[in-house]
Amino acid sequence: MRKLLLGTALAAITGTGAFAETYRSECFAPAPGTRTIQGVAKDGPYKIAFVNGFAGNDWRIAAIQASKAWAARPENAANIEEFTVVSVGNDSAAQISAIDNFIAAGYDAITFIAVNPSAFEPVIRRAERAGTVLVPFDNVLDTDKIVQVNESQFELGRLKAQAVMDELGGTASKILMVNGLPGNATDRDRRLGMMSVLEVVEGLEIVEVVGNWDTGTSQKVVADALATHGQFDAVVSQHGSAGTINAMQAAGHPIVPMGVDGENGVRMLMDELDIPGISAAQAPAMSAIALEAAVALLQGNALPQTIFLPIPQVNAADLEAGVNYFPELPQSFNTGTGFPDCFAPFTPEELLGQSADNT
Amino acid sequence: MRDFLRSNKREASAFVVLAGLLSLYLWSHPIGPTTYVMTIWANQCLILALAAMAQFFAVIVRGIDLSVGAVMALTNCIASYMVIGSGIEMAFGVVVVIAAGIGCGLLNGLLVVYGRIQPIVATLATASLFVGLALLLRPTPGGQIDYDLADAMTLDVLGMPTALIMTAAIILLIWVPLRRTGLGLGLYAVGSSEQAAFQSGMPVAKIKLASFAMGGFFAGLAGLYFSFVTTTGDAGIGPNFTLNSIAAVVLGGVALRGGIGTLTGAIAGAFILKTIGALMFFSGLPPLAQPFIEGLILAGAIAIGGADILRIKNRLEAFGR
Repeated sequence: MRKLLLGTALAAITGTGAFAETYRSECFAPAPGTRTIQGVAKDGPYKIAFVNGFAGNDWRIAAIQASKAWAARPENAANIEEFTVVSVGNDSAAQISAIDNFIAAGYDAITFIAVNPSAFEPVIRRAERAGTVLVPFDNVLDTDKIVQVNESQFELGRLKAQAVMDELGGTASKILMVNGLPGNATDRDRRLGMMSVLEVVEGLEIVEVVGNWDTGTSQKVVADALATHGQFDAVVSQHGSAGTINAMQAAGHPIVPMGVDGENGVRMLMDELDIPGISAAQAPAMSAIALEAAVALLQGNALPQTIFLPIPQVNAADLEAGVNYFPELPQSFNTGTGFPDCFAPFTPEELLGQSADNT
Repeated sequence: MRDFLRSNKREASAFVVLAGLLSLYLWSHPIGPTTYVMTIWANQCLILALAAMAQFFAVIVRGIDLSVGAVMALTNCIASYMVIGSGIEMAFGVVVVIAAGIGCGLLNGLLVVYGRIQPIVATLATASLFVGLALLLRPTPGGQIDYDLADAMTLDVLGMPTALIMTAAIILLIWVPLRRTGLGLGLYAVGSSEQAAFQSGMPVAKIKLASFAMGGFFAGLAGLYFSFVTTTGDAGIGPNFTLNSIAAVVLGGVALRGGIGTLTGAIAGAFILKTIGALMFFSGLPPLAQPFIEGLILAGAIAIGGADILRIKNRLEAFGR
């Protein structure tokens, strides 16, 4: 046991050593066990492109808007010669050719959301040869050669479960877990994160349903779960939490602690109904952090190979209209407008002023 | 020369359009016609061109193949397991992948010829079957293709994109000789009028089977080439390619009623379609408008292709075609 403690302490020391080496580690936080990648300094201003895949949902559109809002800020605009956004659809060959085209056109950095996480190894090699910085985010790659930006999906699940258990004082007898799309690495990791907290609770019965990250599906499966299981002490939901809350309201379920996503409509309901717990999500503004990371590398800074951004989260008690949710905006608006540890979050006006079109 | 142009006017016009679009693309590209830019373009085009060749062999015998994309997905997933390792293993893998493609094509052919099922229904059913197999092989994208082989197939040889060399090789080594054989002639005979071909003593069943098998062969090649470009297996690639392959053969002057058109035309059609896509990439058009504009161009091309009915002196001639 003592050996183990000593080992952990040593790991913590070397860990902090690694933190100190990388650029702005409060924002670009290293994932556990990741290595450091040193950028090669280049003179600006830079030509940067964002190659999106599929563009047909709110999250992707918010990500495109955030990237454009980032490029429009004066402190970033000074570093940019040209900023281009394209969406190529759900076709990995088309995404590869788009990235190749930007490499050929002499772009300094390219950020992208990979259509297929294992299809980019040859492109990474071609980018390296041409001196182009690639920064994938959100749907990251199976590679350790380039800097990647994401939130820890395990941590995202863990913190929701932890928040509801804290509300309950560490004891509970029955909890409802609304999972995401099955067979998906993101769903798997978030679920494992939740389980890491819930599994160790004495005598807890965990009821799992599949909500597909979708409001409508969640509403249906939660209604079914309430009908068969009666009352829960708490609920944790990966995404589509508005459906979960609606189903509970419809069934006359009492207000219990909840760990929910960060959609505007969810936060509106949470505040209105005084639901205790936490709202946290994969924030689309990470498209801007990926651009920020690309510029940091081009300026010769060192970054962790896998960056786990500090997850934007709000406790139910801290919800405030106009600050972390926006009653006048659509329910589907994504409140993940920024990472306060990296730079001032975008205002809704900054984001909504941007189109989702190619530039 | 004039006779050659007159007898190939559908293909000739497709090549003129392609040349125009390609010049426009290279002109609009920020760095113009370098080997790298041509290679990226040619790789994209060849994937669809191979799918269009697969479609051509179904369409030429008055069929249609809705399983082209599905065969690509299946062969892509097989390749992601087999085209890696030592040289012999990879060669064996390539053979297995192509054999799988031919097998899929043969199955389609058997259902159409001996099952007497309409090609559109038969291939719709087999498409689900093939995608199902692909999903069993690769529930999520993954696997790997040998990077060196992939690079060799998708980069260039002495400044000439490998994809263009392969296109030329397919035309010169497969299509031109095939066109001169009895089978090549039979494809057109069966496609023009199955009844007449049968009454002339042609082995209609064998010709149709051979045609579907060749379609499967090219669909397998398309899946293999897709694997070289993406170096991974993905069961979800099919739907785009099936519809685009039909669009490509139509653009290339192949008549959906069968018996008219050439493989070269189908290739040109695929290149045109992909060049239009590439053009839109640097044009800054909204991505959601791209299918609309592609559709518009397609509809226009079909309309012009069908317009020769206007030039016929006697309307009855149209029925004789």
